[in-house]
Amino acid sequence: MGQPGLNRRHFLGAAGGLVTAASLGFAALGSGADALASGTRTRVRYWNLFQGGDGANQVAMVDAFRRTHPGTAVKDSTLTWGGPYYTKLAMAAAGNRAPDLAVMHQGRVPGFAPGRLLDPWDTGLLAEYGVREADFNPVLWKRGVVDGELYALPLDIHVQLCFYRKDVCRRAGLLDSAGRLPAATSTDDWFAVLKQARKQLRKGQQTLGLHANDQNFCWWFFVAFYQQLHGTYFDADRSDLTFDTGKATEVLEFFRKHVTDGYVTPGETDAEAFLAGSPFTWEGNWSVPYFNDEKVDYGAQPLPPVFGTPATHAESHSFVLPHQAGRGGAADEGAYRLAAYMVTHATTWALGGHIPAHLPTFEDPGYRALTPQNEYSRPAMDHQANEPHIWFAGSTGILAQRLGPVIASSNLGSTAPDKAARRMKSLLEQLLAAKNPMTGRTAAQELKGAAA
Amino acid sequence: MSSTTLATAGRTARPRAAAGADSARLRWSRRLQHGGWFVAPFLVLYGLFVILPVVRGLYLSFTDANISGDHTGFVGLANYREALRDPLVWDSLWHSTQFTLYVVPLIVLVALLMALIAHHTTHFKWLWRLCFFVPFLLPSAVVGNLWWWLFQPTNGMVNHVLGLDTPWLTQKSTAMLAVVVATLWWTVGFSFLLYLAALQNIPQHLYEAAGLDGANALQRMLYITVPNLRSITGLVLALQVLASLQVFDQAVVMYQFGPGPEESTRTFVQYTLEQGFTSYRVGYASAISFVLFVIIAAVALARMWLVKSREEATR
Repeated sequence: MGQPGLNRRHFLGAAGGLVTAASLGFAALGSGADALASGTRTRVRYWNLFQGGDGANQVAMVDAFRRTHPGTAVKDSTLTWGGPYYTKLAMAAAGNRAPDLAVMHQGRVPGFAPGRLLDPWDTGLLAEYGVREADFNPVLWKRGVVDGELYALPLDIHVQLCFYRKDVCRRAGLLDSAGRLPAATSTDDWFAVLKQARKQLRKGQQTLGLHANDQNFCWWFFVAFYQQLHGTYFDADRSDLTFDTGKATEVLEFFRKHVTDGYVTPGETDAEAFLAGSPFTWEGNWSVPYFNDEKVDYGAQPLPPVFGTPATHAESHSFVLPHQAGRGGAADEGAYRLAAYMVTHATTWALGGHIPAHLPTFEDPGYRALTPQNEYSRPAMDHQANEPHIWFAGSTGILAQRLGPVIASSNLGSTAPDKAARRMKSLLEQLLAAKNPMTGRTAAQELKGAAA
Repeated sequence: MSSTTLATAGRTARPRAAAGADSARLRWSRRLQHGGWFVAPFLVLYGLFVILPVVRGLYLSFTDANISGDHTGFVGLANYREALRDPLVWDSLWHSTQFTLYVVPLIVLVALLMALIAHHTTHFKWLWRLCFFVPFLLPSAVVGNLWWWLFQPTNGMVNHVLGLDTPWLTQKSTAMLAVVVATLWWTVGFSFLLYLAALQNIPQHLYEAAGLDGANALQRMLYITVPNLRSITGLVLALQVLASLQVFDQAVVMYQFGPGPEESTRTFVQYTLEQGFTSYRVGYASAISFVLFVIIAAVALARMWLVKSREEATR
């Protein structure tokens, strides 16, 4: 066969050379393009976890910032929501390759080693860019503070809502003269509403979407109703549990009754069932754009205050400064500029159903005109139920992962509510005694260490 | 180099107890000279992405490392001691084992059945093969989502077709079964192909001879087909056991990263992930993943030993 080896070798050599040359060429092109794009402008690297409709709104806001701030080049990266996002952020901060600015759920801040993986905000510098503590709900602002320093600058609060279909409720005679659903103020009231609405339904349709087997929703709804009963979790120095199994049982029995009375079909696709004519669903406010797109006639309000005191679960998307060894300089200032712009121009953001944290934006007529936002935003802002402020809390965090399934098993009837409440208590005990892997200290030790 | 010399080289290179150390060294150096450069890229990648992480994981399992890598101290065997006492380790290990016990026999039986159909059918052979194999090409996230919809209590197709209203994904008694069904549908195509190839390798003359001797279809099946598929069945079993013990993605997607009803579908890999990437306990997660590593290695070694002893028995 002649000398195939030689030819092949030549061919491989030539091909390899070509590939190498090409990749070097592209690399050179890439760096050239980068240099062109940024020029002498300040480059701000910004990480977020906003996908879907939120992602589009967020990109629109960043683009608006780019137009008004030609001197700042924003390099934004959107990463997958939830656990993976926080993993990447932690590793980037630990490896000193952190972005200049990042988004984080406020509840996760205490578990994210503020001071080591996160740098505090300079509130003086923030004020220069028009962001002042006085312009925020005081409780919300304080939740971003650890050891006296602000770590989480809130962009919004996002809350759990009771969505109701106006067409079905109107037929059932449940709406008031303004066309809204009067809030049920006792469990009997609430079940009477469900019973009345059910009469309008086809066989097999569920009355309420409760996400009965979703660990995150289970936990969020629990937090809301447990707070309506003034329930607490730990004492002030975090050494003892104050979790009240009696109150917890009451909440779990309330959830369970929805299933036993046939108002909820566990495992149903709740949002889709709502679109298909089911009168109620409890969802995060992020479902607003979804339901708007589908042109459903609906309203939304905080979870019903069935235990007397209004309270609905709220988390907050906040801006944080991931730790950088030499934080400061132009990129750092760019981060302040961008964060301040987003916080004070959050009307676009509010289209996603989120409630602007910045009160002047919250009171802005443009925002107040949005429906159904104007039905729920004020009561939700005033009556927030939050997870405990402790290292194992926060969106899609350890608490939801450990306690959520217990609540779900009570909802589905495999564990009795009182037994589930005791199980929750023992899990909380374990977590309180556990050491935060980020600091090697328990919650109580962290508090003492901060005070010392 | 012709294929004959390659084959001879392969035969002579088989290590023998009688061969001297010098000639062995010579053989190795010759091998490296010829093949070394060809396997070098693979070895580099293998070292970088398999060996190194395994060694580093082993080291981390003796520390209390967190996700950020600082505040890390050596803790000796503490992680392993904790793992032995952690009820969730045992629960999740049982769930993975349970899944394996359900899914492996089903895959073997269904794959064989499908291979027999595809092998003996006379019309549209390619269509059968295509239909049986195509699900295997789907990504696990697609499979998980697909079956999540199929198993929906009121709008799902499974209940619709069967005329039931079973809440498949929200009751403990059917939760794992649902994952098993989804996995069977998804992965059986691979074992099906192995069986089909093995069936096509059985010499036709055996069947002809048996036919002449008056063997009926059942006897031909029992005395020719089944014995000739023994070694491929061993392979299918081993591959499926090893893969099933590592079950993770489809279950996690079907239960939306939760542990399933009454925490009955939390698999071992899922628990490792929870510890490492939700609780940020990388050291502990490394330790429990080594527990699984040991179990899987034991299964693999047991199979090697079985195969070897069988080979020796038939020699």
